[in-house]
Amino acid sequence: MSAYLEFRHVTKRFPGVLALDDVSFTVERGTCHALIGENGAGKSTLGKILAGVYTADSGQVLLQGRAIAPTSPLAARELGIAMVHQELAFCPNLSVAENLSLGDLPRRAGFIDRSALRSRARAMLATIGADINPDTIIGTLSTGREQLVQIAAAVGTGAQIIVMDEPTSSLSAAETADLFRLIRTLKARGLTLIYVSHRMEELFALCDHITVLRDGRHIATEPIPATQPARVVTQMIGRELRAHTPTHLVRDLGPVRLDVKNLTSGEAFANISLSVRAGEIVGLAGIVGAGRSELIQAIFGLDPEVSGQISIDNQKLSLGSIEHALAAGLGLVPEDRKRQGLILGLNCRENTALAALPLLTRLGFVRRNAERVLATTYTQRLRVKTPSLESLVAGLSGGNQQKIALAKWLARDCDVLLIDEPTRGVDIGAKAEIYQLLDELACEGKALLVVSSELPELIALCRRILVLRAGQIAGEVPRASFSEATLMQLMAGVPAAA
Amino acid sequence: MLARLRVFFRFQESGLLLVILALGLLLTAFAGKVRTPVFERAADGTRSRVFTTDATGERIPLSVEKNKFLNAQNLAQLAKDTSFIAVMAVGMAVVIIAGGIDLTVGAIYALASVVGALVLHRYGAEGLATTSSSILGIFLGAGACLGVACLCGLFTGSLIVALGVHPFIITLGGMAIFRGIAFVITKGQSVGAFPAAFRDFVRFEIGDGLSFVPLMTMLVVLMVGWIFLSRLAAGRRVYAVGGNELAARFSGIRVERVKLGVYLISGLCAGIAALLSLGYYGAATSGDGQGYELNVIAAAVVGGASLTGGRGSALGVVLGALIIQMISSGIVILGIDQNYRQIIIGSVVIAAVVLDQLNTWLSRRRLSAAAH
Repeated sequence: MSAYLEFRHVTKRFPGVLALDDVSFTVERGTCHALIGENGAGKSTLGKILAGVYTADSGQVLLQGRAIAPTSPLAARELGIAMVHQELAFCPNLSVAENLSLGDLPRRAGFIDRSALRSRARAMLATIGADINPDTIIGTLSTGREQLVQIAAAVGTGAQIIVMDEPTSSLSAAETADLFRLIRTLKARGLTLIYVSHRMEELFALCDHITVLRDGRHIATEPIPATQPARVVTQMIGRELRAHTPTHLVRDLGPVRLDVKNLTSGEAFANISLSVRAGEIVGLAGIVGAGRSELIQAIFGLDPEVSGQISIDNQKLSLGSIEHALAAGLGLVPEDRKRQGLILGLNCRENTALAALPLLTRLGFVRRNAERVLATTYTQRLRVKTPSLESLVAGLSGGNQQKIALAKWLARDCDVLLIDEPTRGVDIGAKAEIYQLLDELACEGKALLVVSSELPELIALCRRILVLRAGQIAGEVPRASFSEATLMQLMAGVPAAA
Repeated sequence: MLARLRVFFRFQESGLLLVILALGLLLTAFAGKVRTPVFERAADGTRSRVFTTDATGERIPLSVEKNKFLNAQNLAQLAKDTSFIAVMAVGMAVVIIAGGIDLTVGAIYALASVVGALVLHRYGAEGLATTSSSILGIFLGAGACLGVACLCGLFTGSLIVALGVHPFIITLGGMAIFRGIAFVITKGQSVGAFPAAFRDFVRFEIGDGLSFVPLMTMLVVLMVGWIFLSRLAAGRRVYAVGGNELAARFSGIRVERVKLGVYLISGLCAGIAALLSLGYYGAATSGDGQGYELNVIAAAVVGGASLTGGRGSALGVVLGALIIQMISSGIVILGIDQNYRQIIIGSVVIAAVVLDQLNTWLSRRRLSAAAH
């Protein structure tokens, strides 16, 4: 008997890269099948071949023993295969109902039949039990709810296989829980899910099988109960990952470097007081919308409405001014490196030197040698992999881009670093390097305030963790009491279980 | 040899140089010959025709046969025509690299011209201030011309920064306002009769009719623009703001100051071009420079400045201006109907952008190949 879905020697080549190299494995019907691998391992490419976004150069995809080769997402839809994208799958300016029927608008005498449109959308949303008004404009929905509309579109048009590409990357904890419940329901109905992700915990909670890809090659396909996270990590990176124990934790702390008192800004957060000492890494946890990024951006002077008091090394800082923050030795590595952190059209040298530019200037001229030396020093220290300093950062991998975003502030020699999501979208190897770097920085006596959505990251790195909830500090957890459960309870505002 | 060729092709402006070379060869090949009279320059600087006496003792004017395109006079003319547009295009490049657009340059050119002209007229032959020194008048006129242009640039720049409206809208409005002011203060009349020394200076020629001052001005503006954009921290900030405004702000760059600065620079460049035209043509009206903004933007785009911001160079846009002028003059030389001029220039602009996109796509492919 042939498998439900089978990949047989699938190979896909992009200019200069072998994205998939002779990949073969099978997927069982009615299961949730995880595809995992580092950035560039080929997991998204494989999903996109199944969904007709790309076509394979060689090899076959067999559905119930029959070779299929969808040449477009529409062709894949007709075969019962749909893909849920990370972003921008719909026209944000149109309503849910209009988007759900976009390819095939119901018409009466040339005019759009609005009532048919609405009832069709309602029926589609009902198949997954989503409570969304079909007249809502898509752009006003949260990412999580937009994803539900995408799933409704897939299920409502009779899809049997749904490919999900990093579905939880921008969901809140509650939305993620809803999504998981829905996925389990769909599985029970006999649908097959291909779940592309690199969040290990999720996969182990949700999936039945896991396929690991590395550098485009198939490494293993195993049932979840037969493997463990550590084994999968080893398969993903091809070597043992040593658990990194931060050395800064055993050192003595210096004086208070960053001191924030009663910081308040409109609706975002109120009465925040915190301090970070030299040599300390303090974590800032909280669910999406708790005000974490708003808080550290306000400390950095990006919020003109803020009130309260901030001192750096006992010097009062005037609020709402980036210039003063920079002069006082603050640096901010923002959450979204492509939007806020880097100038993609400039090269590695220019990006690394950007924040330090005032220090590299003589009579208005950029001192080119000093600039080159500075950029070389920090790209080497962070082990940035780039063909040359003159290569555009747009061409680097996510991990190397993140390193440049960090190097920019190291080059400025900041004493107090605010870091928002230090390893988002960064592969495991680069992650370990970034953790080690943050540890080194703390050992050098810098004060670090780190925001992260990944609790294991904060637990591994920090000396203590502050939890933000709805713009207030809900609690402070010292390292001795670190546990995901404690932190989650504080984040969600649930009283501790007895 | 091959390695040197490769370096040349990686050099950003090499494509433009090749296009100029190709255009030059084409025009030379197809221009045909023309008979032009021979001039001689007397010791006092005046030019007069050269005559010979034939067998019957009659004086006949001497003439020589030249290539219609490749002759000193035509090239000098081309250099002068390019100067005006190129000077403004350098300013426009700075604005475009910063992610903006400036439609006011033609109107600033007109307003700065007429204000400068009114001052110069006062100190000219028919002016009221003939008693005072004409040198003072020239400096005052030049100052007024450049000052007004800078003020106009500051005006649009501060509106764009303060209101946060797209620069297209603000400069579209500014364009009408500035030209309107120019019309009101001159009542639509042409203003002329400047101190003779001023015209003599700008029209000073070397060789066979090559206007030295506009050409040198263009080269100086090009050099200053090139140093500003590629060597100064301020220029780096222009690229950063145009490349990613938010990331620039997050890096501690005062984005508003950069934006204000680029419109000031663009205004100043329009003022410099206006000053050159005052000296060269010896008169100004409120209708001067009509449609220049489009030619200048076209030159910048052909020269490789990206309208999405963050990309472009001073040399590129000057070469872009030269290409546009070569095509304009080529149309005259080849005897193509003048009415086709607009169509051809428009097509060239579109073709340049398509080529640029093709190039971007190719280099991105190369990039992704190199990254793996």
